[in-house]
Amino acid sequence: MTKRTILLTAAALVVIGAVAVASVFFGALETSVVSKDVDTPLSAQEMQRLAERGAYVAVAADCYACHTAKDGPAWAGGLAFETPFGTLYATNISPDKEHGIGAWTRAEFHRSVRDGVAKGGRHLYPAMPYASYREMTEEDVDAVYAFLMTREPMPVPNRENQLSFPFNIRQSLTFWNLVNLRRSGFEPDPARSEVWNRGRYVVDALAHCGECHTPRNLLQGMKPGAYLEGAVIEGVEAPDITKEGLTRMGFDPATLAAFMKSGVSAQGSMTHQMFEVVHFSTQYLTDDDLKAMAAYLFDLDAMPATSTPPPAPAPVDVAPPVASAARSTYLNLCAGCHGAEGQGIPHVAVPLSTNASLRLESPRNFVRAVLNGIPAQRFPGLERMEAMPPFADLLDDRELADLTNWMRARWGGRQPAVTPEDIAKLRERGHGGS
Amino acid sequence: MTLPTKPLALTVNGQPVGPLDVPEGLMMQDFLHEYLNLTGARMGCGQGICHACTIMVEEADGAVREMRTCITGAHWFAGKKVVTIEGHAQHDAQGGLVALSPVQQAFIEHFAFQCGYCTPGFVTGATVLIDQLKRAPIPRAELEKTVTEALDKHICRCTGYVRYHTAVRDLILNTPGLLRG
Repeated sequence: MTKRTILLTAAALVVIGAVAVASVFFGALETSVVSKDVDTPLSAQEMQRLAERGAYVAVAADCYACHTAKDGPAWAGGLAFETPFGTLYATNISPDKEHGIGAWTRAEFHRSVRDGVAKGGRHLYPAMPYASYREMTEEDVDAVYAFLMTREPMPVPNRENQLSFPFNIRQSLTFWNLVNLRRSGFEPDPARSEVWNRGRYVVDALAHCGECHTPRNLLQGMKPGAYLEGAVIEGVEAPDITKEGLTRMGFDPATLAAFMKSGVSAQGSMTHQMFEVVHFSTQYLTDDDLKAMAAYLFDLDAMPATSTPPPAPAPVDVAPPVASAARSTYLNLCAGCHGAEGQGIPHVAVPLSTNASLRLESPRNFVRAVLNGIPAQRFPGLERMEAMPPFADLLDDRELADLTNWMRARWGGRQPAVTPEDIAKLRERGHGGS
Repeated sequence: MTLPTKPLALTVNGQPVGPLDVPEGLMMQDFLHEYLNLTGARMGCGQGICHACTIMVEEADGAVREMRTCITGAHWFAGKKVVTIEGHAQHDAQGGLVALSPVQQAFIEHFAFQCGYCTPGFVTGATVLIDQLKRAPIPRAELEKTVTEALDKHICRCTGYVRYHTAVRDLILNTPGLLRG
């Protein structure tokens, strides 16, 4: 090969590479799951018919929780998302013509929900779970569209995102989409039952469980190989909710379905983001949908007729000095509300003897609850739990490590392997500390 | 049934107490009521919510912290210095009253309480707040908010909080060194 040939080949490769990058960037390789059918606007009668159903779909998809700031106007956006790349703000999706989606066509709404491309070709950030909503059926997206158009228009301007370069270039999402988006929408598995398929649809497409419970790769895409196996979000673990993970926490399909409805179980109460999920979404799901979700998560074609909770893990021995120190701490600071035997007080404090956080592989959620406390919470019906105080300045790292090891060994069947250094790392360092 | 006991020694209102054999899981409130006959820390909810049962614990640097005695074990206080509501006013050797504490005096002057059940907790909470302000004064503009936040967890079911709030605010305004700027 002459020098000239090498140079020409190299030049050609550079050009091809540049063309490839440019094609991705300008969206030439983007796949849409939105059909041409939605180019036809819905009639007023269809909009009216769909709106009621849309209210339910929007609840199942939990749109409100992000698109309404705390105590802010309904559907007007504003909730902040702290990401490693900067801060994003949820947008106004009320039907205001200027600031909301009032001027959006049916097709534009479909493209934004399922392809992540908003009106005018503006790429959305995947904090909007379009990677999950991509699997929503055309009829469900239509229903949400019809429902949102019946809401009160809120003339509230959208807040500008604070993102660093290059993440502030929306068009660069084409690369993320190329790697992380499914090519097609929801495809039922004909080998499985209707219940299982409905469960998968609710879990994956509507409730977008994987957005938190599936770990993310370096590009912040959901790792397909670790589906629902748990991830750390805002300093706490969204636990493994595969069949194995749920069983480890002490759930069976019936108790899981009841937990999503009530927010309270023998395994503890819903905390952090899952508290909001129950508050805004799962408490309103039909029993059929809750059962379908539970059956699917346990990989069953039908809900079992009876509830058979998994056996409690066998206690593990702890060195006597650790056990003695931890037991004193427990009796002095925990037993007043959680009971000497970890039995809890109904409507006040959850039981600890059956608490899921003690059974998880990582001590993170338990330790963070002890350090930072949990606010008082109201659950559906008249249920409530009182506030758990923070113990960060009452327990040093050694005391909390001993307590953690003893409680996890006693009630969670976990080896006492937590060190004071582990506790030090989990102490809060400002919002969202690791 | 015999409860397993452990020896407990601590300082209560400046006096050394113990060692006494005290059941391991006994709550501090029961210890104060049943062993020391100090019944001023009130049993309200028994669940750590109403704060009628609080007492002060002195830290190593002399700062005071408020602790709920209905949900904290007596043995947690081993070796510590605590002040119950009985220890706020000054008494002479015969037990006669010499002077109320500034917080107690302020509550009396403002008619801050009616039935008085929650008052030990409010005295404790307000005294801890004033101790904190001595160490870290706050701007005048933050006063009302700070008083509200400090007393918020204390529940009163008859006077509606306003006079407690006014009493504590006025006491802070009239005590030099608690506000800055």
